[in-house]
Amino acid sequence: MAGYVLRRILLLVPVLIGVSLVSFGLLQLVPGDPALILAGEEASEEVLIRIRQEYGLNRPLPVQFLSYLRHAVVGDLGISIQSRQPVATLLGQRFPFTLKLAFLAILVSATLGLVAGIVAATRRNSPLDIAALLGSLVGISLPIFWLGLLAILVFSVKLRWLPSGGAGTFAHLILPALVLGAASSAVIARTTRASMLEVLRQDYVRTARAKGVSDRLVVYRHALGNAMIPILTVFGLEFGYNLGGAVLTETVFSLPGVGRLIVEGIFARDYPVVQGALLIVATTFVLVNLLTDVAYAYFDPRIHYN
Amino acid sequence: MRRIVALWLGGLLVVSGLGTIQSVVAQAPVTGGTLTFAAGADPDSLDPQNTQSNPGEQVNRMMYENLVRFNTKMQIEPALAESWTQSADGLLWTFKLRKGVRFHDGTPFDAQAVKYFVDRVLGDEKPFKASLYTPFLQGAQVVDDHTVRVTLKQPFAAFLFRLAHSAGGIVSPAAHQKWGKDLTLHPVGTGPFKFVEWVKSDRVVLERNDAYWGGRPLLDRVLVKTVREDSARVLMLEAGDADLILNIPPEDIPRLRKDPRFAIDSIPTARALYVVINVKKKPFDDVRVRQALNLAVNREAIVKSLFQGNAEAVPGIVAPLQNGFAKLPGYAFDPKKAKELLAQAGVPALKVKLWSPKGRYVKDFELAQAVQQDLAAVGVDAALTTMEWGAYLSATKTGAEQTDRELFLLGWSPSTGEAQWGIFPLLHSSQLAPKGDNRGFFASKALDDAIDKATAATSEQTRLGALREAQQIVIKDAPAIFLISPNMIVGATKKLHGVVNLPLELTYLTEKSWKEK
Repeated sequence: MAGYVLRRILLLVPVLIGVSLVSFGLLQLVPGDPALILAGEEASEEVLIRIRQEYGLNRPLPVQFLSYLRHAVVGDLGISIQSRQPVATLLGQRFPFTLKLAFLAILVSATLGLVAGIVAATRRNSPLDIAALLGSLVGISLPIFWLGLLAILVFSVKLRWLPSGGAGTFAHLILPALVLGAASSAVIARTTRASMLEVLRQDYVRTARAKGVSDRLVVYRHALGNAMIPILTVFGLEFGYNLGGAVLTETVFSLPGVGRLIVEGIFARDYPVVQGALLIVATTFVLVNLLTDVAYAYFDPRIHYN
Repeated sequence: MRRIVALWLGGLLVVSGLGTIQSVVAQAPVTGGTLTFAAGADPDSLDPQNTQSNPGEQVNRMMYENLVRFNTKMQIEPALAESWTQSADGLLWTFKLRKGVRFHDGTPFDAQAVKYFVDRVLGDEKPFKASLYTPFLQGAQVVDDHTVRVTLKQPFAAFLFRLAHSAGGIVSPAAHQKWGKDLTLHPVGTGPFKFVEWVKSDRVVLERNDAYWGGRPLLDRVLVKTVREDSARVLMLEAGDADLILNIPPEDIPRLRKDPRFAIDSIPTARALYVVINVKKKPFDDVRVRQALNLAVNREAIVKSLFQGNAEAVPGIVAPLQNGFAKLPGYAFDPKKAKELLAQAGVPALKVKLWSPKGRYVKDFELAQAVQQDLAAVGVDAALTTMEWGAYLSATKTGAEQTDRELFLLGWSPSTGEAQWGIFPLLHSSQLAPKGDNRGFFASKALDDAIDKATAATSEQTRLGALREAQQIVIKDAPAIFLISPNMIVGATKKLHGVVNLPLELTYLTEKSWKEK
């Protein structure tokens, strides 16, 4: 097991080099000039040249890429073209926040999704099942920014229970976590239901029932454990998305997260920021996947990594 | 009966009179409190000489001060300089500086600090905004602690306007020596508010400067929040989480206006929106075609229906609030005449490319659509495309040989508030793209002469006369389809007083701004 984990972590190195190359290449393909955006319409040619020189934007692309890699290896992600703040500092401000939000959201979606999925599977075709199915259909279909605005309207503007946006206290995180969690809970509920139905049809479940094992024990001990593999996969994916792609939620609630940092970096052609943030997102995605794989082995002792 | 009515009316008057008195009493300024200001974008920089965006400039206006400043009518008034004189040849300016002013770091503001500013914009550092000063500025000498003499290379009529620009904010020399280019992360000025922190694309926090020369500011703190989403800003105001918000979406205005808690102001700006015409492309090299395009557009209808009155039709490329604007007749809406001109030019039917940004200016894309419809009515079939702003900036700035752009919507708000900077960068033949901002490649000797005359004028009369002449030429030669000047829409709780809305699309607070408890 330990050897497997170590190997997977070592695999990060080629993954990160690949991510750097792809993000660097894509950013170069996007039309637009960082210097022109930074200096504004009134800037003189002289100033534009100075900016390109200062940030090394006038060097040949392979030179730019290699110099980026050389610095990144020792942890220097460069400084933001827009704000001059070190990219590492920017990520240091943003990433813990995004982690907190993603964690809370996955807590919400796991609770909601698992409960709804299990209830739906065990009471198939009952009104509860139909309600859960409908609910998750709505959850998947609703645009998240609309849900977010609606939540602000109800809980902040009308009821005045929670702040409408921004970061600071735990209360600021409740609405975004609920909105983000609600959307992914729909996916988790559907997966849970399907996976549980599959398992509940198996012979060993029938055997357990025939032995007279209580319904609760059958569902939570015998069935759920085996149904967990596809559900874990979805967990991992949703958590990964929340870490890097909660842009819409972050925008609606004005949260200082990594997703918005990336999007704003793209609009400003702030290459170092986008590249640095993508590195972090890729790293966490790989680690979350690894965690998921390790969790497989926990839930299904038949799975070995050696 | 009549007497009773009279008594009743009298009583009413007394009561309402009392009401007024009470409200006056309630209006006495309150000290303390934090103001939350939700802006649409993050500052680009907090170093005034390197700041080029409005979100940055308006935060700087609270921390830094200039030698002279604009009032809300865009006239010049004293700030850090109490008075000034100009030599007869217009080359020598002597400024008497305000005494007893200190920077936030405790160092004194004096003639040395002004000289430091002049040396910085002329020096090797080349801050982004240096080009506002380098064409005419020669140098500065310290006469005594509170007198500084600035020399120009050539007479420059708009000198004071350039000094009043946000880029003329005087920085503490000690802070600049210490931080260099990283001054943007450690701003130090003389203004009513001091820097506390800047969490990138989240918030800038400022606190009152107790040592401010204009008296202790009434507000304790100003929190400038970056809230990208338009609807989210409106909801923040409604939820009481923001006291002041910018760029309210037009569709939310009527609803907010009905709410007694809020004051929604529609403020005319110095910005002109127009569609640039690439005069190097056929048939746009023919002035009749360009005039026809101008005659085809119904500006009044655009102002009334698209902007619901929150805009003004503009005859030329200079908006009415730019100092030096000349009230000249522009193009009337006359599709019949437009068709005649197009026929005379030999292009009764015409296919053109029309580009527009989306979301850069209020209703920019909708405005381009309105133009598209009006052009269709005179037989000009415009294919409208949009692109993301960063790409748009580059695509509209390439040289004449590298581009096939034809018509493209842009806006310009001369950040110095005066018309020379509203015409020169856009239409002077020395400013052709890709080096300059003359993106339609218009060149006219007559216009160059008029602009140059306005630039070097030493009297107000010459300046205004030459600017008027320049605007006449621009309208006649029609290097663009002239459109409108949009208002800025600012919303605030009625508890907030003393907000400054400068027509340069800058909203900020001063030492006199205050908030009811």
